[in-house]
Amino acid sequence: MKLKKWIQSLIFYEILLGMKETLKHFLKYRPITLEYPHVKKPLPENYRGMLGLLRYDDDTEKCVGCDLCEAACPSRVIRVVSAEVPGEPTKRFAKEYYMDMTRCLFCGLCVKACPVDALGMSQEFEWAVYDKRNLQLNKEQLLAIGDRAFPEREKRLEFQHPNVAYFNVSFKDIPEKEF
Amino acid sequence: MFDTSIKLALTLSQIGAVMGVVLLTVAILTLLERKVLSWMQDRMGPMEVGPYGVLQPVADGLKLFFKEDIIPAGANKIMFSLAPILVLVPALIGFAVIPFGPNWTIDVMGVEFKPFVISDINIGVLYILAFASIGAYGVILGGWASNSKYSLLGGLRSAAQLISYELNVGLAIVGVLLLAGSLSLVEITEAQAGGFWNWFAFDPVPFPQFIAFVIFLIASVAETNRLPFDLPEAESELVAGFFTEYSGMRFAFFFMAEYANMILVSCMSTVLFFGGWHAPLPVLQAPGVFAWVTGIFWFTAKVYFFLFLFFWIRATLPRLRYDQLMRFGWKVLLPIALGNIVVTSLLAYIFPNG
Repeated sequence: MKLKKWIQSLIFYEILLGMKETLKHFLKYRPITLEYPHVKKPLPENYRGMLGLLRYDDDTEKCVGCDLCEAACPSRVIRVVSAEVPGEPTKRFAKEYYMDMTRCLFCGLCVKACPVDALGMSQEFEWAVYDKRNLQLNKEQLLAIGDRAFPEREKRLEFQHPNVAYFNVSFKDIPEKEF
Repeated sequence: MFDTSIKLALTLSQIGAVMGVVLLTVAILTLLERKVLSWMQDRMGPMEVGPYGVLQPVADGLKLFFKEDIIPAGANKIMFSLAPILVLVPALIGFAVIPFGPNWTIDVMGVEFKPFVISDINIGVLYILAFASIGAYGVILGGWASNSKYSLLGGLRSAAQLISYELNVGLAIVGVLLLAGSLSLVEITEAQAGGFWNWFAFDPVPFPQFIAFVIFLIASVAETNRLPFDLPEAESELVAGFFTEYSGMRFAFFFMAEYANMILVSCMSTVLFFGGWHAPLPVLQAPGVFAWVTGIFWFTAKVYFFLFLFFWIRATLPRLRYDQLMRFGWKVLLPIALGNIVVTSLLAYIFPNG
């Protein structure tokens, strides 16, 4: 046994074993590299990427300015300035909507908190910028992200279900509730 | 006068051709090393420049050429500029005695001319060893002149390593010199004519020099500062060793010198132990005037095999610790090399016509 070990160390047995292993990888060349900018890894369905504001299919904003997302956000990313819709005292909207994406940790709590599903998380993640200020997004930018990430839009709530329309008094042209 | 100018023109064109091939090989090696290494590590290596990244050496060269050449404050400017040259020139100058084709003498307008070796001097091996030692000066000077503690320590370590392993290189060659009875690389190669059983690494009578070859290989890996003996560089631990402060073309000189040294060492092990331009079987050697084609082919194939071996070893082994390096060099390699000399000379005395 001792002799065997002695001979093994004499002929560099362990080094030869290692070299055999590397040669095996060399001959059976199967790279695991993903050439990133050219080839992108498929993202999971529930990937939480860049946040965006959504619209209804008639191009009106979903957001009702309720501030719940601002309250839900753990890192105080969101700032909402809510206001009344002019001429319609029962309806509110977000006059200004700011997100400081330098702080966002992409937890998705704002999306969960939103009562009207006005926020969505896109699959975008390539948001590296040279200037940090480019990550302070305003409402227009967030809506643009939502527009390009979610091309399929929902109908207005009152058109989705008549029961909702019954309580919504702010719209004049709502359909009659069916009994 | 006419003869002299003809000889000058022939020699200069020969030097130009050899330098061109060597520098081209250096450029190829930089790419080949990264490719081979990444293939062994299941990666792809450079893929962006040109198809499959084949133009990467061009991009690297251009980048190094146009980079700012920084001389650190407090550096000794003369020594700092001299060191890269002192490293590169000995690495390239060794190719002057390497025979890469059959030992023919052709007559060009009354001038005798050997087309496949620049100069067949009768102390070829000594010449190469001597110039390899001068390379160590460049390393020390580069480390000292940079006015940086990392460079200085890296240079000293590197010099200690070079000197320790140079000894083993020299002693490993002695066995071959005993068998060949000459220091001329051309004559050493010619002594190995015939099949691979006549190569000094395998020649059974009087004594196969395979152990000497292994020692030579290990010591030359250490001398060229390659993994697993790349302590002077140690990318992952030190900054870069003795060329920490170098940038631009000066850095490229060190880089080229490393690769040129690798080629030189591969050429030397081919010539000394593996029969130079001779084919492994006599059948594979083209007869008559076409012998130079197969000669150069086999020489190149052997050299590239050794270069591949360098990459292969690099992909396999981790770096040694400094005390392990010194202990291995002085306590393991040196006694084996000395023993090899004793055994070889005894057997060469007993079988004088082996």
